[in-house]
Amino acid sequence: MNSTSQLVEHFFRHEYGRLVALLTRDFGVRNLELAEDVIQSAMSRALVVWPRSGTPTEPSAWLYRTAKNLAIDNLRRQKLAQGFLDAAIAVSEESSTTIATLPHFDSEIGDETLRLLFLCCHPAIAVDSQVALALKTVSGFGVHEIALGLLTTSANIEKRLTRAKEKMRELHLELSEMTSNEVLERREAVLSTIYLIFNEGYAATTGDVPIRLDLCWEAIRLAKMVAAHPVADSPAAHALVALLLLHTARMDGRLDTEGGVVLLAQQDRTRWDGGLMREAMAYAQNAARGAELSRYHIETAIAWEHCRAPDFSGTNWERIVELYRLLLDRFATPMIRLNAAVARSYVEGPEVGHDLLLKLADSDRKQVRPWWDCCMAQLNERRGQHNSAWSHWLDALALATAEPQRAFIRKQIERLSIKK
Amino acid sequence: MPKYLLIYRDSAEPQQPQPSPEEMQGFLKMWDGWFQQFEGKIVDGGDGLLPTGRVLKPGGVVADGPYVEAKEMIGGYSVVSANSYDEAIEIAKHCPIAVIGGAIEIRQLAEYN
Repeated sequence: MNSTSQLVEHFFRHEYGRLVALLTRDFGVRNLELAEDVIQSAMSRALVVWPRSGTPTEPSAWLYRTAKNLAIDNLRRQKLAQGFLDAAIAVSEESSTTIATLPHFDSEIGDETLRLLFLCCHPAIAVDSQVALALKTVSGFGVHEIALGLLTTSANIEKRLTRAKEKMRELHLELSEMTSNEVLERREAVLSTIYLIFNEGYAATTGDVPIRLDLCWEAIRLAKMVAAHPVADSPAAHALVALLLLHTARMDGRLDTEGGVVLLAQQDRTRWDGGLMREAMAYAQNAARGAELSRYHIETAIAWEHCRAPDFSGTNWERIVELYRLLLDRFATPMIRLNAAVARSYVEGPEVGHDLLLKLADSDRKQVRPWWDCCMAQLNERRGQHNSAWSHWLDALALATAEPQRAFIRKQIERLSIKK
Repeated sequence: MPKYLLIYRDSAEPQQPQPSPEEMQGFLKMWDGWFQQFEGKIVDGGDGLLPTGRVLKPGGVVADGPYVEAKEMIGGYSVVSANSYDEAIEIAKHCPIAVIGGAIEIRQLAEYN
């Protein structure tokens, strides 16, 4: 008897996304909910059958066949549009006979999954719904897992999913009707959704840590999938993969053994992952093929400067400032302006960084607090203004919500209280 | 050796959140582990039961739906062999149904024939 231990990690999760893609191809995106229901049932059935009769030699094909048959039964019962149904059954029966023999099975499915991802990123669907929808249907995360990862409630995720699905129905979105042109147009939106998924996993250090790491790895998997596709691929996609890998390479060093926050200057660089950095560089080389210079290219270059520095004092800040200037020319978001100001403070001194932060308008500041407060506190300490540093840390503490961040801020307040 | 029927009782509450694919893969691993751990003790792996059913009442009255007691519904069964109820309970304790918080009714087969 084949044991389930032969199944790769996250097999069901990844399989879920493939099955949604296949079944929505067979039965239409309008039957998305039915597709999700029958996949759930097919997996429940696997729980009973596989341990008792052995894992099938083709578990993917088994799940697909089972789910598809359940869908056909269900549609028959509903007696929905008989003509359409017969056609759909004929198509899916044809594909199920070839499914086990075709060597390009994987690449074909990869295609379908990508199509689904591009569909989720339709401009008419709100961005936060796109993220939830992609995680649910393309990535196979459960509602409560998404809620944990995005630091919100299951009810909220359900709401976002419902809204997204309503929109899809309203617009009669179908996979088969997506043209290559639309794929090209939507490439940027897809990359930014992937980046958002990664950031959700990477940024906050609170909540369920394994789930958050899963979000990061899932974003990398999706970005690699886009980069590997002949139509969807672009230098920006390769740059994004490189960027996410470089961030991930440094993930381990960001927390101490007790899960506390460690700043870049104090991080143990031997804990950074050299293997991931090398993989990132291979993607970065491919990203340099075209004339395109996306924000991911520039951010990768910045991340690379940090990775290659032997220690904090050996960082090439002049180069980093130059890169931030390029980035600011294109995307002057408050967060990038904040980071650019800090970078400049290491070249031109803390006074310059301090003045730049003060120049940030109130409305911009609001978007980047409490990080603005933390940076102000550090810059003030470097200027020798311990009293203002202390009061900025207090402001930061009032605004911070993530526990590890709060613990870090409290430590700074204690330290400065002694110094004052 | 005496045989025991393990009757798996799931919660009949419809509001239960569906397990995620990742959790289901975890359950699959647990079931596999259970079957391996008690290989030779599990006489019949049994089966799951569909949520639909009929109840035939005295006088030929047929009602729809399975017989639902309180908040539990029979979701499946297995047959194991054990020397005593204690041993049967020990086997049941390691069954994924019990591990994830479901109830298992354990009944010794009479084996009249």
